[in-house]
Amino acid sequence: MSALELLAQQIINGLSLGAIYALIALGYTMVYGTIELINFAHGDVFMVGSFVALLIVGSLGVAGTVAGPAVAIVMLAVLLGAMLATGLLGVVIERAAYRPLRRAPRLAPLITAIGVSFILQNIVQLRAGPSPVSFPDVMPNPIIDAGNVIISAKQLMIIFVSIVMMAGLQWFVLNTRLGRAMRATAQDRQAAALMGIDINLTIALTFFIGSALAGAGGFVFGIYYNSVWFINGYIAGLKAFTAAVLGGIGNIVGAMLGGVLIGLLESLSAQYVSERYVDAIVFGILILVLVFRPSGLLGQQLPESA
Amino acid sequence: MRSKFLTFLSSGSAAVMLLAACGGGAAPSAAPASSAAPKPASAAASGGASAAASKPAGSAAASASAKPAASGAASGAASAALAPGATVTIGVELPMSGGEAANGVPTSNGVKLAVDQANAKSGNKYKYQATILDDAVNGKHDPAQGAKNIQQFSADKSVMGVVGPFNSNVAQAEIPLTNEAGLVQISPANTNPDLTKTDKAKDLRKAHPSDIAYFRVCTTDDFQGPAGADYAFKTLNKKAAFIVDDNETYGKGIADEFEKRFSADGGKALGHEHLSSGQQDFKSLLTKAKATNPDLIYFGGVTTTGGGLLRKQMTDVGMQQITYMGGDGIVEDEFLKEAGAAGNGAWGTVAAPIAEKLPEAADFIKAYNAKFTDPKDKIGAYSASGFDAANIIIQAVENAGADRAKVRAYVAGVKDFKGALGTYGFDQFGDTTAKIISMWNVDGGKWVAKDQFAFK
Repeated sequence: MSALELLAQQIINGLSLGAIYALIALGYTMVYGTIELINFAHGDVFMVGSFVALLIVGSLGVAGTVAGPAVAIVMLAVLLGAMLATGLLGVVIERAAYRPLRRAPRLAPLITAIGVSFILQNIVQLRAGPSPVSFPDVMPNPIIDAGNVIISAKQLMIIFVSIVMMAGLQWFVLNTRLGRAMRATAQDRQAAALMGIDINLTIALTFFIGSALAGAGGFVFGIYYNSVWFINGYIAGLKAFTAAVLGGIGNIVGAMLGGVLIGLLESLSAQYVSERYVDAIVFGILILVLVFRPSGLLGQQLPESA
Repeated sequence: MRSKFLTFLSSGSAAVMLLAACGGGAAPSAAPASSAAPKPASAAASGGASAAASKPAGSAAASASAKPAASGAASGAASAALAPGATVTIGVELPMSGGEAANGVPTSNGVKLAVDQANAKSGNKYKYQATILDDAVNGKHDPAQGAKNIQQFSADKSVMGVVGPFNSNVAQAEIPLTNEAGLVQISPANTNPDLTKTDKAKDLRKAHPSDIAYFRVCTTDDFQGPAGADYAFKTLNKKAAFIVDDNETYGKGIADEFEKRFSADGGKALGHEHLSSGQQDFKSLLTKAKATNPDLIYFGGVTTTGGGLLRKQMTDVGMQQITYMGGDGIVEDEFLKEAGAAGNGAWGTVAAPIAEKLPEAADFIKAYNAKFTDPKDKIGAYSASGFDAANIIIQAVENAGADRAKVRAYVAGVKDFKGALGTYGFDQFGDTTAKIISMWNVDGGKWVAKDQFAFK
């Protein structure tokens, strides 16, 4: 394995990891862009998504690898089910925990978000137990071996799912009426309301989409790692949050870019520095970004909103 | 926007820190021993019965034979001796109810068998009985309950020794009490080195630092790393290892010891990496390891800190043919679930012998199976250990007399006891001299005992 092959392999590892972070980061950034709340429960919504995917796999009676074309149907059903469930969960969280606090001082919803995070963790811990739960190995995983560089089918699947989700989101936000309503609400909530936009509906929609994307992240996580755990949302959520800040919080393309960059940063620092410093490097980057470029790589200096 | 954003994030980062502080606490501690066994109808004999049964026969003879032991370890109450012919109680202190009954019951049966054999043997000077106290509260071993049990045994003058406990944290609560009382305690199953030979161990026996009262017939975790290294190098013929640990006390400890020994044996340690907690993706780490061309990946840690996923992900980066080895932290069913099919072929060390495979244990196993026929009494991994622990106490009572101080001094001097686990004695810390490590291998989706050897 030459140095170049090693680099290529680590870039592949980093891209597939970063794709998951990007899916989660989108939810952070969308919610922040709309109501300027860092939704710390978002990582746990992702975790719930992985458990919902597990439930659906179980209720479909799938216990092992699915052979043939049926695998595509099973995976699509699980993906959509997990997205729908987490999307609705996001709406419920927004309605119950954040909307009543929309005019409260900023710290209140932030602390509430942390509370929601613990509630979700504890519910899942009660239901699924304190140990990691194994996720059936639904997807066959042939390995594409290009010389010394290996790409597994699962890695390709993750990257594919992420690209489809992100492209779909981008299209939705830029080209539909609801997307335009979301952008208008993000820019100026009051003015948007004056223009006849239903603010509550738009914010609920934002939560639905962001949480559904986290559900998609939970689905690929379960398929990829074959193990889900009630505390998984915590670290993954923090990394995705870092990705969102790195890309420019509030900026959708920035979140995708940030996610991929964090994934690459992790795999390259595991290779060229040391596995044990990976987290320190990632969160060190977060600090540097906050100090030197608080609006992130792609963030714009928005005018102060009222 | 800039200033507002910064203010906002400062509150955000405070929240991050808050979450970080709580995150560690939310993670459950890994419990390697997982077993779910049916709860026995009742938790064996209760302590009260034995107190009534023990005849105060010793009181008269006590004044005659209660010469203070040379060591002077015995404290007032415990110095009374029993006259020959009296009934000596062997205390048994194990988890006997709930899920952990599967550990306690077969171990206590080993003690019962030893007591039966001693009573059947003509020429023994004393009669024996086993009194069993349960240290499980609500189905889980409990150090406070263990300490209470020891106090009860300690107050009972007929108790000349205690077999137990099963769990290291229970032992931590009990050792100071038995040390204070000068009452011999032999554990069939504790493997934590901190109970006997570290500075922490010294704190446990402050009352009588030089008169060790706590002994054990199984070896300690700190031999797992070096024993694994020997086995990998000499038996599995592995020459180049890449070492990974979970950066926790247990995991880093055995991984460091493995590395030292493996290098000393002549093997090559290609690298040693540490995982960060909460990490799930090890592909980058494994890619790095793969580039160094190892023939063995050694993992120090438990399944939930990465032991299962690391093995699983070895297949994703094309390393499935490389041997994987760890300590007893991965020798559990959880590992099989996490690693899935990739788990096959993995090796793990356990600091206990496989009794069925010891030639010396053949007679014991025959006698055990003849006496205990109920499925819930099925022979367990520590039945032979309980049997030996009880026999050491019985031998001490027969040879030194039923006097706690003399029994303690006798046990401390045991050098070549012939038991079901082989011939062994106790070293200066109270640890067994037979450092038998068993090797387990995942075969057909199950952990199978493959081999064992005396570590030197």
